[in-house]
Amino acid sequence: MIYLDYSATTPVALEVLDTMTRTTKEFIGNANSLNGLGIKSKELLNSAIKQIAELFSVLESELTFTSSSTESNNMALIGVAMAMFKKGKHIIVSKLEHPSIYAICDYLTSIGFEINYVNNNEEGLIDFDHLKSLIRPDTILVSICAVNSEMGIRQPLKMIRQIIKKENPMTQFHSDMTQGIGKMALSLHDVDLASISSHKIYGPKGIALLYKSSMVNIKPLIYGSGKSNDLKPGTPALPLIVGFSKALRLALDDLEKKEKYISLLNERICKKVNSIEGVLINKTKYSIPHILNLSLMNIKPETFIHAMDNEGIYISTNTACSSGDLSSAVMAVYNDLTRATHTIRISISSQTTTEEITRFIEAFEKNYQTLNSLVAKE
Amino acid sequence: MEKVVIIKYGELSTKSDNINFFLKTLKNNVEAKLKEISHEIKYDRGRMIVYTNDTEKALVKIKDVFGIHEICIGYKYQDKTLEGIKENVYKQIKDLSFNTFKVVTKRSDKNFPGKSMEISADIGGYLLSRLEGKKVILHDADLTIHVEIRINEVLIYFDGEKGLGGYPVSTLGKGLLMLSGGIDSPVAGYLAIKRGVRIEAIYFDSPPHTSPMALKKVEDLARILARYNGEVKLHVINFTKIQEEIIKNIPNFYLITIMRRMMYQISALLASNINAHIIINGESIGQVASQTLKSMQVINEAIKMPVIRPVCTYDKLEIIDLAKKIGTYETSIEPYEDCCTIFVPDHPVIHPDLKIVYEYESLVDFKTLMFEAIKNRKIIRIKEKEENVYEDLL
Repeated sequence: MIYLDYSATTPVALEVLDTMTRTTKEFIGNANSLNGLGIKSKELLNSAIKQIAELFSVLESELTFTSSSTESNNMALIGVAMAMFKKGKHIIVSKLEHPSIYAICDYLTSIGFEINYVNNNEEGLIDFDHLKSLIRPDTILVSICAVNSEMGIRQPLKMIRQIIKKENPMTQFHSDMTQGIGKMALSLHDVDLASISSHKIYGPKGIALLYKSSMVNIKPLIYGSGKSNDLKPGTPALPLIVGFSKALRLALDDLEKKEKYISLLNERICKKVNSIEGVLINKTKYSIPHILNLSLMNIKPETFIHAMDNEGIYISTNTACSSGDLSSAVMAVYNDLTRATHTIRISISSQTTTEEITRFIEAFEKNYQTLNSLVAKE
Repeated sequence: MEKVVIIKYGELSTKSDNINFFLKTLKNNVEAKLKEISHEIKYDRGRMIVYTNDTEKALVKIKDVFGIHEICIGYKYQDKTLEGIKENVYKQIKDLSFNTFKVVTKRSDKNFPGKSMEISADIGGYLLSRLEGKKVILHDADLTIHVEIRINEVLIYFDGEKGLGGYPVSTLGKGLLMLSGGIDSPVAGYLAIKRGVRIEAIYFDSPPHTSPMALKKVEDLARILARYNGEVKLHVINFTKIQEEIIKNIPNFYLITIMRRMMYQISALLASNINAHIIINGESIGQVASQTLKSMQVINEAIKMPVIRPVCTYDKLEIIDLAKKIGTYETSIEPYEDCCTIFVPDHPVIHPDLKIVYEYESLVDFKTLMFEAIKNRKIIRIKEKEENVYEDLL
């Protein structure tokens, strides 16, 4: 099997799995219980949270665990909207967001919020002038992802934050960092709120977190027992949280070294497919090497994916979360409908071997030729 | 060029007789802080210089040491020719942003030709000729350039960061801090440490009436104090039996008065035992029933050892501000009850009478219980860095 869909999800690292098994077996107490077992669980929970807080240089109280980045995005956008609607109902998002952001925006529109979509330039970078012009006195939130999930375009969050705060210091800045964490150095101090997921960094599925600066107030989405400022009441998912914490520590190690290696693999594929007619590489100078997006102009991407499946090679159409639709990122950058509806995504990890890339390229060329010749005959 | 950390002393420069003792202690304290960083320290009566490869990390660590007025990053050069010095100063400042500057020269090497003032003027003139649009002013210059010509090296540095002030820890001896889980006592401890007192701490544990989390909280607070104090020895007294005897035998409006007297006596006995000269606590005038002046008088009467109350004249909000600055506030407000807040009567006496106190105290053989409690105390050595027992899981 050759797995090249790491941006959809990653396999759990064995040492993380070991941590989770041991935590599940040895820490059976509810971290909210007052008894000895509960206290033991609570101590482990606190250590796990502290480790994450230290990795990001933030306060422990600024971290809330959720079930997925989608939930974190909901908590951030709806939470800010509900806390600040008296000050304004205007929200700005980019055209390069994860589909969950757009779904939340649709909901917020239905209850009276106004959403604007900020343009990007031909390299995929946020159009700073346009962003500046969109920000109004009643703009309560801007949400822009750190790395786009389809083309891997990276945004300069620090600069974006400066622009936002200069125009309106009251406007909060959220970033979905799901595709960026563990791939490059990101600072939570560049944003007010951030979504981060565990299963993209070799941690378990079902656990993610929302970073919320202590300076920001949001309304909780759910209510339960616990402290009044608790955004996610309920029994903490200890094995998942501990596993997440460990996965994060491992993922943030040697980022540069890993990125260099992945760049080499990315370059190798690009070099090969660049010469194939009908294949376009959707990549700008802001794309990170972990994500490689191609448009197969003459072939239905889904057919190609299944052909590759048959050889035990797993890649995806634009993103796992929006299969079948057009790639909004490719559309936003190239404004070409055929190109945007014919995309496949190859995502590479530092675990990927050069041997795997060689085999991928062979299979790619073979399947492409077969399918392309069929299309030509029609 | 090598980077160094330059430490300027605080108040201790006024201690003319035993300055060497103060400096030696400061050096030891800095050394203890830099245990994980390879370094070498040289000092004289004017300043201390730390030679290390990791100046940034060292600077952060040294910031928590008391007895320091100012900490600067300095640049060390071997070139002791005047021309070389000028050129090196220029190199250090050419990319800095400032409009006005002045040069302050100090010659530890008295054989270096010229007077310090002349050298400053010479360097200043050279800089003016190479920099555009800069002016020299002698008061409130944007940039003060210090040039120190030493026997084997030249140091160039600028105004640095303010240190914490105070005296080097342990120069004034040892004190025993009555540490509860509240907001006040850690701040009191911090302020005592600041004045050069090395502290050990005593905590009254009352299981099962108090939660193990309350003890954990006190350990966490002691750990924060260990940043400034060095390792904190925490003496955990099992107070259950004494507290239960008080509740069973003594009318409840005198309960707090008697309980505090017992705590004072245990603290004083332990303090003499560990060679501490004073007791420190977080009492603040008028805050609770046991802290009215009359209560303090009657409670204090139980012992002869001096009790220092660093926050006794502070308002609660002032104490909270300090607690936030030190970093103990977040821990202090965790909701675990300690032995002072359980069994609190609705209307404790605020004007206790000593005669009545004596009478009540004679009802129980507290002496034996107190000796027992001290003998059976648990000692926890608390280091600045928590040993993470879950490291293998994380």
